[in-house]
Amino acid sequence: MFYLSLIEHTLRLPPHILHLPVDEAIKSELETLFLDKVIAKLGLCISVYDIRSIKGGFIFPGDGASTYTVEFRLIVFRPFIGEIIVAKLKESDASGLRLSLGFFDDIYIPAHLLPTPSRFEAIPHTRNQGRWIWDFGDAEEAQSEEPRFVIDGSDPIKFRVDSVIYPSIPLEQPENSKPFAPMVITGTINYDGLGPVSWWEEAEMIQEDE
Amino acid sequence: MKIKEANAGALTNFEVLGFLRSRGASKDPTRVIVPIAPSEFKVYDYLVESAACNQTKEHVKEFLERCKSYKLAKAEVLNIINLRPSALVEIDPIIEESEKRFGEQLEELVNLVVEVLPEPPTQKLPEPESNEVKEDTMDGKNMDEDKTETVTVEQIDKDQIEPNEDGEQIVVS
Repeated sequence: MFYLSLIEHTLRLPPHILHLPVDEAIKSELETLFLDKVIAKLGLCISVYDIRSIKGGFIFPGDGASTYTVEFRLIVFRPFIGEIIVAKLKESDASGLRLSLGFFDDIYIPAHLLPTPSRFEAIPHTRNQGRWIWDFGDAEEAQSEEPRFVIDGSDPIKFRVDSVIYPSIPLEQPENSKPFAPMVITGTINYDGLGPVSWWEEAEMIQEDE
Repeated sequence: MKIKEANAGALTNFEVLGFLRSRGASKDPTRVIVPIAPSEFKVYDYLVESAACNQTKEHVKEFLERCKSYKLAKAEVLNIINLRPSALVEIDPIIEESEKRFGEQLEELVNLVVEVLPEPPTQKLPEPESNEVKEDTMDGKNMDEDKTETVTVEQIDKDQIEPNEDGEQIVVS
């Protein structure tokens, strides 16, 4: 889930923090710049791990700030394809599920990557919201009042990462669209052991074999 | 900005948790004093509820030693340490072509995981009885909060002991 990345950056230290020791000032500047931001192909920056070297300290003419070339390591969140992650359900609508990790919310499970066959049961009077139900086993059992395999957000969901894309920043956006997501993870739960954790706790007890 | 090495090493959840803890992150509400950003705290909150929260360096080292014989890919080992699968059905999506490569041995691997790595914080589903008790206290508390201005603490205790059908006494702090 997490990787270390070595970055070199030319950092300008504004004069108002020059009274602090250099490494502290540089660390806080780096944090303001990188923390909680997505770097394309690298991932979401979580933390500054350490500072390897600080060079420079030149002051360019006409500028009150000093400029340093810093080499440092960042902890980035970048799941690899095939990784299995536990997340909580955030939204569920006709096009699929949206999961959240607390620090990262743009995880989507599109409808075609849900276990087959699944069906969507919309909640009446809401626009688009509803819950997904997995029709496993006999048709009769699935049509009964309380189907066994519902995705309703009561427990965490295990999913496998299918792809991680970094869409480019759009030039213009229509008014009511979703805020731009610089990193989108697509997941699948169409496999044994994936999906809400409670589905598989039952499976152990009943000892269903595939 | 220049990316010198995009991948200078993979980190397990346990290592990231250790790093955040060493900088002072913890569960209690003294969060404003520590030099950790709110976004880092969100990561900490996520990791503390995962299987990584009880792990130590010794656990991970021991596991790495003992799983060498299974010839697992690096990604698979990482997944196993992060998730701590405790059943066959949990380890199945982690390992590719598990039947071809392991067959019987898969159960041994699961037993090894359960033996070496500590359990994650258990999130038991509440039993039906205790659920009802909790609901009573919640309702009682809500009603009493409206009255708290005029009612003393002793009276609140008495009010809540009465409606309980089981006859148990609920101690409300």
